[in-house]
Amino acid sequence: MDMNGGPKIVGFLCNWCSYAGADMAGTSRMSYPANIRIIRVPCSGRVDPLLVVKSFQQGADGVLVAGCHPGDCHYSEGNYYARRRFGLLRPLLDFVGVEQERLRLEWVSSTEGKKFSQVVSSFQEELERLGPRENRG
Amino acid sequence: MVDEIRSKAKELLTDGTVECVIGYERATDGVTARPLFAYTAEEIDRFIMDNTCVHNLARYLLDRKGKPTAVVVKPCDSRTINLLVQENQIERDKVFAIGVTCPGVVEAHWGEASDEAQPRCVTCSLEVPAVYDYLVTMPGERQTRTGFPDLERMETMSPEERREFWERQFERCIRCHACRQVCPGCYCPICFVDQLDPTWVGIRNAPPENQVWHLIRAFHLAGRCIECGECQRVCPVGIPLMLLNQKLAAEVEGMFDFRPGLDAETLPPFAVFKKEELEAER
Ligand code: SF4
Ligand code: SF4
Ligand code: SF4
Repeated sequence: MDMNGGPKIVGFLCNWCSYAGADMAGTSRMSYPANIRIIRVPCSGRVDPLLVVKSFQQGADGVLVAGCHPGDCHYSEGNYYARRRFGLLRPLLDFVGVEQERLRLEWVSSTEGKKFSQVVSSFQEELERLGPRENRG
Repeated sequence: MVDEIRSKAKELLTDGTVECVIGYERATDGVTARPLFAYTAEEIDRFIMDNTCVHNLARYLLDRKGKPTAVVVKPCDSRTINLLVQENQIERDKVFAIGVTCPGVVEAHWGEASDEAQPRCVTCSLEVPAVYDYLVTMPGERQTRTGFPDLERMETMSPEERREFWERQFERCIRCHACRQVCPGCYCPICFVDQLDPTWVGIRNAPPENQVWHLIRAFHLAGRCIECGECQRVCPVGIPLMLLNQKLAAEVEGMFDFRPGLDAETLPPFAVFKKEELEAER
């Protein structure tokens, strides 16, 4: 992945809210770092921790999982399950030396283009502060 | 004490309660123990029970689904029964649990048994099985419980030091998957590590691939690992797998107030949620 030298971010965005939110950021010409590679998923609850761990193994510096706000999930409760899952995956990653700040779970609705661009920008700043991930891939 | 196990086992076979009793017998080295599936009274006479009886025999219940079976369980092993009933893998009324209170089992290798406690026993919190239909007492002074010093030491390390520590561990893994084969929670018909399309864990044996295996194996047991310590016992290269399991167990208990296998009713943490929770942990 050629990413202008910045931290590499993999973003798993739910189809119904966050992907639409990112789309909105794009169509309203809000700027956000180009270093994010977006993967559209049906629901934040679809994001298997395996996808996150695999992303890190393949060289990601940070992984963003974004879904609908609690209460707004298209499938009612997928995001609540995601919240439990990633709430537990973060300390496990930290335990093996992948700083838990490198995995973010955010709620972004389809009208929150601005929030999406802020989330990605602040995530990028955080990852720059942490520095590149040592990866012997 | 072993007489109690033997006579109960014979009674269960004779009155037709079960077809098979899973217990321990002396291995051919004359020192260590090995599992014995007894179908007759003569076989039952070979049963033993002492601090070399390390195996978690309840794991074999997965191979006897639907068949009435009695099994000898230590406190740690007993949690397997609750786990597997909770997960609809076995039927409680097909299992007769011969529970054994346990002062702790020792490190034993072919031809030699030491006085050293198994790591799982040092951190164990149960003295009596969580579930049993008949209880016998194993004599012996209970081994000292130390809490989790290794886990606490890990927490004082920097992320960089932890990364190096685990890299050194993971690079020794030969991916024999013995840790999975022995685990009562690892019964998937097709394990992610064996999938080729997509290939989640590359065939090559290298630290990054091994890390995917280890993190996901541990995560699949999060909220399910009953801390029998078998994975670490069978690892041929001595990777401290229980550190990963115990880290997750501590987090699960802290976040969700849940410990697996203590009963068969409570829903596990990933099957439920609360609307108001964890916003700080995102
Ligand atoms: S038993 Fe040990 S060497 Fe074998 S796969 Fe598990 S951790 Fe790796
Ligand atoms: S992960 Fe290890 S300690 Fe936990 S249940 Fe499986 S074999 Fe036992
Ligand atoms: S490691 Fe995961 S996928 Fe493999 S058998 Fe265990 S629980 Fe199933």
